[in-house]
Amino acid sequence: MQQLSRFYSLILYGMAVLAGAMLVWVMIAVIMSVGMRNIGMQPWAWLFTSTEYAMLYITMLGAPWLVREKGHVHIELVTAALPPALRRLVSRGVALACVLVSLILAWKGFELFQTNIARNDYDVRAYYFPRWILTVSFPICFGLMAIEFSRFVFGTELMHSGEAGIHE
Amino acid sequence: QETLTAVHAFPGTLIYTQSFLQFVDKVNKAGEGVVQIEVRGGPEAIGMFQQPDAVRDGIVDMVYTPGSFYGGALPEKDALVASNLTAVEARENGGIALIDEIHQAKMGVKYLGWFDSGVSYNLWMKDEPKLDANGNLDVSGIKLRGNAVYNAFFTEYLGAQVIDLPTTEVYAGLERGVVDATGWTQIGLIDLKWNEFLNYRVEPSFFSTDLGVIVNLEKWNSLSDEAKTILQDVAIEHEKASVEALRVKRDEDFAALEAGGMKVVELQGEARANYLAAAREKTWGRMKGLMAESPMGDGQYDTLIGLFYNAELDK
Amino acid sequence: MEWYEALGLLLGSILALMAIGMPVALAFLAANIVGAWVFMGGERGIGALLNNGLGSLTSFALVPIPLFLLMGEIFFHTGLGGRMFNAIDKLLGKLPGRLSYVTVLGGTGFSTLSGSSMGSTALLGSLMVPEMNRRGYKKHMSIGPILGTGGLAIIIPPSALAVLLATLARIDVGKLLIAGIIPGLILAAFYLATIFIQTKIDPDAAPAYEVEPMTLGQKLSLFLRDVVPMVGVMVVIVAMMVGGVVTPSEAAAFGALGVLILAVIFRCLTWEAVKKSIVGALRVTLMAYLIVFGSATFSQLLAFSGASSGLIKWATGFDLEPIAMLLVMFGVLLLLGMFMEQISMMLLTVPIFFPLAASLGFDPIWFGLIMLLALEISFTTPPFGLLLFVMKGVAPPDTTMRDIYMSAIPFILCSLCLVALLILFPPLALWLPG
Ligand code: NA
Ligand code: NA
Repeated sequence: MQQLSRFYSLILYGMAVLAGAMLVWVMIAVIMSVGMRNIGMQPWAWLFTSTEYAMLYITMLGAPWLVREKGHVHIELVTAALPPALRRLVSRGVALACVLVSLILAWKGFELFQTNIARNDYDVRAYYFPRWILTVSFPICFGLMAIEFSRFVFGTELMHSGEAGIHE
Repeated sequence: QETLTAVHAFPGTLIYTQSFLQFVDKVNKAGEGVVQIEVRGGPEAIGMFQQPDAVRDGIVDMVYTPGSFYGGALPEKDALVASNLTAVEARENGGIALIDEIHQAKMGVKYLGWFDSGVSYNLWMKDEPKLDANGNLDVSGIKLRGNAVYNAFFTEYLGAQVIDLPTTEVYAGLERGVVDATGWTQIGLIDLKWNEFLNYRVEPSFFSTDLGVIVNLEKWNSLSDEAKTILQDVAIEHEKASVEALRVKRDEDFAALEAGGMKVVELQGEARANYLAAAREKTWGRMKGLMAESPMGDGQYDTLIGLFYNAELDK
Repeated sequence: MEWYEALGLLLGSILALMAIGMPVALAFLAANIVGAWVFMGGERGIGALLNNGLGSLTSFALVPIPLFLLMGEIFFHTGLGGRMFNAIDKLLGKLPGRLSYVTVLGGTGFSTLSGSSMGSTALLGSLMVPEMNRRGYKKHMSIGPILGTGGLAIIIPPSALAVLLATLARIDVGKLLIAGIIPGLILAAFYLATIFIQTKIDPDAAPAYEVEPMTLGQKLSLFLRDVVPMVGVMVVIVAMMVGGVVTPSEAAAFGALGVLILAVIFRCLTWEAVKKSIVGALRVTLMAYLIVFGSATFSQLLAFSGASSGLIKWATGFDLEPIAMLLVMFGVLLLLGMFMEQISMMLLTVPIFFPLAASLGFDPIWFGLIMLLALEISFTTPPFGLLLFVMKGVAPPDTTMRDIYMSAIPFILCSLCLVALLILFPPLALWLPG
């Protein structure tokens, strides 16, 4: 069990590291593309396209890690006004709702991914790019987000601090 | 009375959207009490490139979009892109019937009509185009803006240095010299204000617009025969009317551009023929390659080309 | 369903979810699931929601923001930013709130030329807020001016949004761009005045520490060593944009590269700094882009369900005096702006507002500028202005919702004053384009 949880954490952080690496890649790709253009070469169109796709991948790869880091902003209004016992209940309830939303999107994302394979769908830009390579990120991202939010439902830590304001 | 929801790929103010909205008005008039179209908006309602999937999945019943936006699912749209006919001829010779059949088989949508056809593309340039000794267009050193529709032609035949820029960035790109030439349809340059920077139009024009109305097949089949007839008849009528209206608009645009100082450079003789042939054949090549990969194969390739291209017209 | 029921359902669910403390991005996604279910035909609507989110995220327009964040974070974590502000601090002497003025002046220059509100908010926020916080500035003295200048990006040329608006509305692009110059400068002046007033009312808002007197030579060498190179990076990327070497969207990458090179030259580039910078940029990007993923679809649902067009038609359906009509349109833009993304708003409102404005006898350039101002303001309007969330991401951890809202309000009032001025004296906009 402990090994499983360590393996899972490795995946979660591994995905975040990959997101960070892609952010650096975006910078390199733009610089290369401009550089090539200005020395009279034709920039590879995939450089440009890869930066657009990177926006999706970065978001999907990093979002579950950010849940663990409590980095998704939320507003503490109701939770700040409640007595502690009730606040804990509401906080866990909100986390549960987040698990639900994530699960629905993971499930629908998985269906979308399957449809894209069955229909042989392409994303049409400079290249024809198989769509499933993009949509496969949905079940992974939202699946992991569901797990991370469920830690705030069942775990010792709460999502909400009880202090008024917007929180990270 | 039956109602179809609809969205269009381009913003409401664009001429092609206006044409679609005219079609909607005609249907709503002819179909009073029988069938109505309820337009839900443009790219602000469903993303431009998500609309084909939305009609396929029945989120919306009808979409007005270039076939190129779903070229991944239906590479046969390139038969329209490389066509030198208008919808009027393609309707008569059964070309549109075949395209409809392919749409139904591959995407589960009914191809109702090919609107705004007969409009083709030009290459528009900031500086005077250079021609080589044989009269071929020489684009070396030119920063040409490209996109998925014409890249096969621009890079493989012209050997151009293509820069992919979203339409919204082209104005700034031209202003600062990031690009100094772009392809665009014969119509619409003035609306985009690119004529502030572009001074030359290269003839001949190539390609054709491939804007069409597609309808979710389940929805189509659920309609009464009377509703189907009204929709189809009005669509065929609008295919014709839109060709004529846009011809007038094109002539007006060209005249206005020329009055504003736009100069025309025309390729001649063999150079012209090669230019046109390359635009067509590079596109056909892409279509054949993608058709061969799909489960339906490329068996209908020659038939399609026969129906959408008339070699006689290019002589 | 009637438009007001649709509007009530969509806005009601998002407001309720956010109020009980659901993360903003998740609240958007949850409201989208409800909306997709109701308006897009049940279960399959959710697939469409994901497709739309994918389409909105994989856009080149979003590429500069993480890069501007990266640039600002590297500036901060390598200590280059600190050096520059130390120097500016010393050079400006005792002027109360000096770094706030620097923010407005630098921010006006930068955001103006970058043309991206979100990008410049990201950059200035990650660069200035932690530094100013460390120096004892109250939060509103750093957050407010940055939120304000971020919006200037839209009005003063170059501005991609202005080009798009002119194209959609079929008005002269050049004229609309030029029309923004004087109002933009007036707005920047209002911002400076606001800071002046804020430091007068509350002298503690900006630290009043003494600065050692320096000789002119010392000042000059400090300026050349610690200010010129950093500002030079900005100047170089601006020159690259103006010279056509890069598009505004590409400039951010060179900004980040430039700062990296500077850090190498100043021998302050450490692995630790690079790592912290990437993590910092990543956090804000993830937070903001998951919101973009959700909110883009949310604004599409508002449009697709007929809620927003119903609101627009209803609001513009009254027979009012031209000036009242203008205020109604302005109000609709502000309201929609709280929930919708700017380009969608333009697509939705331009076909209705511009013909209406023409029938009321408004000058289209003048009206276009007012519309741009409304878009600018809505970007920072509580509770959902996207720039507020970007700012939250880059601000120090103890910054609250209230801090950010309260910081934004004086600068929103500046913009509203400008709108009033434009209504009273249209030549402010129309004189320059002739
Ligand atoms: Na600007
Ligand atoms: Na907003």
